[in-house]
Amino acid sequence: MHTHASFFRRPDSSMTPMLSHVTSRLTPIRATLVLAILLIVGSLWMPDFLQSQASNWIIFGLLGVSLVFVWGKAGIFSFGQGAFFGIGGYVYGIASINLVAVTNETVSAVVLATLGAAVAAGLLGYFIFYGKVGDVYVGVVTLASTLVLFTFMSSTASPVYHVGDALLGGYNGMAGIPPLTVGWPGGSPVALTIWQTLAILVALAALVLCVLYTLLARPFGYIVSAIRDNEQRTQLLGYDIRLRKLVVFMIGGAIAGLAGALYAAWGMFISPTVFGLQQAALVVIWVLVGGRASIAGAFFGVVFVEGLSTLLGSGGGNATPVVLGVVLILVVLLLPQGTVPALQSWLRPRTRASSTPVEAPAAEFSGGAVDPLMPPGLSAGSSANSSLRVNGLLKRFGGLTAVHDVSISFAERGVHCLIGPNGAGKSTFFNLLAGRFSPTSGQILFAGRDMTRAEPHTRARAGMGIKLQIASIFPGHSVHENVWLSAYAKLHSRAAAEARATEIIDWLGLGPLRHVLAGELSHGQKQWLEIGMVCATAPGIVLLDEPTAGMTRTETARTAALISSLGRYANVIVVEHDMAFVRQLNVPVTVFHQGSVFASGRLEELQQDERVLNIYLGRHGGQRA
Amino acid sequence: MEHASIGWLLNIGVSMALSIAILALVSLGLAVMFGMMGIINLAHGEFLMCGAYVTLSLTRIDVPLWLAIPLAGLAVGVLGYGVERLLIRFLYGRLADSMLATWGLSLIMAQLTVLAFGPSTQGIPTPLGSLSIDGYSFSRYAFVIIVCAMLLMALVYLMFTRTSYGVMARAAVQNPAMAAAVGINPRKLNALNFAFGAALAGWAGGLLAPMVGVMPSMGEAYIARAFMTVVVGGPGIITGTASASLLLGGIENVVSYLSTPFFGQGALLIVAIIAVRLLPTGISGRWQRQL
Repeated sequence: MHTHASFFRRPDSSMTPMLSHVTSRLTPIRATLVLAILLIVGSLWMPDFLQSQASNWIIFGLLGVSLVFVWGKAGIFSFGQGAFFGIGGYVYGIASINLVAVTNETVSAVVLATLGAAVAAGLLGYFIFYGKVGDVYVGVVTLASTLVLFTFMSSTASPVYHVGDALLGGYNGMAGIPPLTVGWPGGSPVALTIWQTLAILVALAALVLCVLYTLLARPFGYIVSAIRDNEQRTQLLGYDIRLRKLVVFMIGGAIAGLAGALYAAWGMFISPTVFGLQQAALVVIWVLVGGRASIAGAFFGVVFVEGLSTLLGSGGGNATPVVLGVVLILVVLLLPQGTVPALQSWLRPRTRASSTPVEAPAAEFSGGAVDPLMPPGLSAGSSANSSLRVNGLLKRFGGLTAVHDVSISFAERGVHCLIGPNGAGKSTFFNLLAGRFSPTSGQILFAGRDMTRAEPHTRARAGMGIKLQIASIFPGHSVHENVWLSAYAKLHSRAAAEARATEIIDWLGLGPLRHVLAGELSHGQKQWLEIGMVCATAPGIVLLDEPTAGMTRTETARTAALISSLGRYANVIVVEHDMAFVRQLNVPVTVFHQGSVFASGRLEELQQDERVLNIYLGRHGGQRA
Repeated sequence: MEHASIGWLLNIGVSMALSIAILALVSLGLAVMFGMMGIINLAHGEFLMCGAYVTLSLTRIDVPLWLAIPLAGLAVGVLGYGVERLLIRFLYGRLADSMLATWGLSLIMAQLTVLAFGPSTQGIPTPLGSLSIDGYSFSRYAFVIIVCAMLLMALVYLMFTRTSYGVMARAAVQNPAMAAAVGINPRKLNALNFAFGAALAGWAGGLLAPMVGVMPSMGEAYIARAFMTVVVGGPGIITGTASASLLLGGIENVVSYLSTPFFGQGALLIVAIIAVRLLPTGISGRWQRQL
C-alpha cells in the first residue's frame, strides 16, 4: 500500500520548494512510469475485449485528468471539458478522413485535434478570465457552451454540412473515422492493432501525467496553487492571474482535446452525445469519486464508475443514470474531498496537528522592539523613485461622492497616516490607490507612471505593495511558502526567493512558525505575515489599510515598530482608526473629512485644532443646514 | 417580393416575441433561485420537464388544459420544497457543491421519467387552432404563451414587492445577518424561494407542453439557453431576465430567420459570451434596483 499512498499524494500539499525532503524515492513521475510499463507489458496477456476496454478507460481517465488540473489544481470551475473533448473528436474525425488518403497516417490529425481544442479553450477562456467572470458563472458559461454545441452539432444532419469528405452527420454522428494509423506520404498505411493502440494510449497518458507533475512542481505550479488559495492576494503580489488561468484552461482544453481525438480514433465514431449533459456530468463524477485534486485519482474514478456502469448495464437495466446521480449526490454530501484522499487520510496517521506548535514562544514577541536592521531586500537605493501623486481624484457611488477632488502627494520616504471619522472617504481613497475601485475622474501617478486605471498586478509590479484591511494570505500554504510566493513575484528565481523569504520571516520574528500553515496563525501573526509578504516584493511604496484592527495592545506596539522600520526605506501610507497607534508611529498625519483632505500635520498639532476636534466629536454635523 | 405586407411584418413580430417569451419563461424560475439564493439549479430543466409531464398526465384523465397547467406549477412547487428540505439546505455556502448535487438530481429525475413514461415523445394537441391574417397563419396559442410570460413576470414582481414573503426574502438577500437579527427565518425563506422558483419552472413546462413534444430529455433542450439568459441578465430577477431574453431571444430569432436555426444557436452562444466579457456581472449587475 505504501506505493499507492505516495503515488496518490497531492503534490500541492508538499509543494514546499524549500522543504525539499524527498520522503520517498518513489516520486509521482517514477510511479507513473513504472505503472505504465507494467500495464503495457501486462496487457499482452489480456484478451482483446479487455485491451479495448482498458483503452477506453485510459481515454476517459485523460479527460478526467484535464478536469482535475483545471478545477482541482487551479480552482477553475469548468464544466466545459466535455466540449473540448468533443471538439477534439470532431477535429480528429474531419482531419483524419480528409488527410489519411494523402498522408497515410492519422497522427497529424491527433495533433491538429489537440491544438484545435486548445484554441477553442483559449477563445472561451479569454472571454471568461479577461471578463473577470465569477466562479459560479465560469461553471455555468462552460456548461452552457457545451450544451449549445450539443444542439449545434445535432442539427447538422443534412449532407449540406460537411468539411471536405467528412459529413458531420447531425444527431447520428460522424461515422467512418479512421483508427490510429501510422505511415508516411507515398508509403502504405498501417492501422495499429488493439494492443498497439492500448500501448500508445498508455504511453501518451503517462507522458501527459509526467508533464503535469513536472509543471506543478515548478514555480508555475506554485503560483497556480496560490491562485486557488487566494486569488486576490496572488494578484496583489504582481502575478497576472488572468493570463495564468487562461494558460491552465488551455492546457486542460488540450488534454481534453487529445482524449477526444483518441476516443474518436478508438471508436472510429463520434456523435453529439459527447456534448450532452450526461457526458459532462460523468466527467465531474469520475473526478469527484477519485478526488478533485488527485491526478491519479481521475483514473481510479473512471475505473470505479465505468466498472459500476458496466455491471449495472448488464444486470440492472436502465437504472445507470439514477445510480450515477445518487453517487454524485452522496459524494458531494458525504465525501466532498473524494474517495482516494478520504481513504488516504483515513489510512495515514495524522501528523500535522501534533508536529508544530502553533503558538510561538511568548518570548519571541515580548521584546516589542523590532530588529532595527532594515527590512531584507529593501535598501536606501531601492526606493529612490517612490513618489505617489494624486490629482483631483473623485469617486462617486450613484449619488454619493465618497472621495471629492483629492489632490495630495507623498514624495518623501517615510510613514504617512490617513485618519478621519467613519465615512470620511479614507477607505474609498485607499481602495482607489489599491485598484479595487476605478475613480470617476482624476489621476494617480506612481513614480511618474499613470496608475489611475491599472490592473492590481500592474500596480504591484510597478512597486506598489498593498495590504488590505482583512488579512489576505494563502491559508493553505505554509508561512515560508507565503513569503516565497511574494519574493518570487519580484525575483523570478527560486533560490533567490528562498533566501529572501528566510530573511523576511526572521525579520518578522516568525522564524519558529516557518512551516506552519498560514491559516493556523493567530490574527496578529497573519497581519505581520502579510506585511512581510508585501515587503518581500521590495515595493517603493507600501499601502496599509488599518493594519492593527482587532489587535491586542502588545501586537499593536510590535506592528508600529515593524512599520517604522519599513518607513526608513520605503514610502508607507497607513490608513488608521486607532489614535493610540498613530501616536506611537509619531509621523505626519492627513485628516479626511467628507471625502476631502481636511487638515494635515503632526498629530499633536491636529489635536489642538478646534475644527478637527469638532469633526471627531460630531459637533460639525449638528450645525449643518 | 412580399416584404412590405402587414402579414409579413406581423409574422416576424410574433415569431420574435414568441422566441423572447419562451426564453423568459424557461429562465424565470432559474433567475428567482439565482437572484434570491445565489444557487444555480442544474435540475431546472427537469423541473420544467416535470411540469410538462404533470400537465400531460392530467389532460389524459380529462382535466381541462387550463386547469392542468396551473396545477402542474403547484405540483412542481411542492416537489421543489421537498428538494430544498432534503438536499439543498445542507449545501448553503457551498456553491459548487449545490450545483453538483442538483446535477445529480437532474440525472435521477430524467431517468426516472424514462422508466415511468418511456423515452418516446408524447404530445398534447395545441389548443385554440390558428387564425389567418393577410395570408399568414398564426397559432392562437403563441399569443397565450406571450401573454402568460408577461403575466408570470408580473406575478414575480408582485410576489417580491407586495407580499410579506417577498419583502422578507429581498431583505434576507441584501443582508442575511440583519434579516435574521430582526426575526426573519432565513431557512423558511430559502425553502419558499426554492419552491417558488420550481413552481415557475413547472408553469413554464406546462405552458410549453402543448407546443413542443413532451419527452424525458426536453429539459436539456432549454437549460443551456436558460443558463445563458440568467448569466447575461445578472442578479436582477425581472429586469435581468427581461433584458437578456430580449437580447438573446431577439438575436437568435433574427439569425435563425436569415439563415437556419443552426446559426441561430451559434449566434446566441457567441453573443452571450461577448456579453459576459463586457458585463461580467450581467446586464442588471450595475443597476441599483435588484429586482
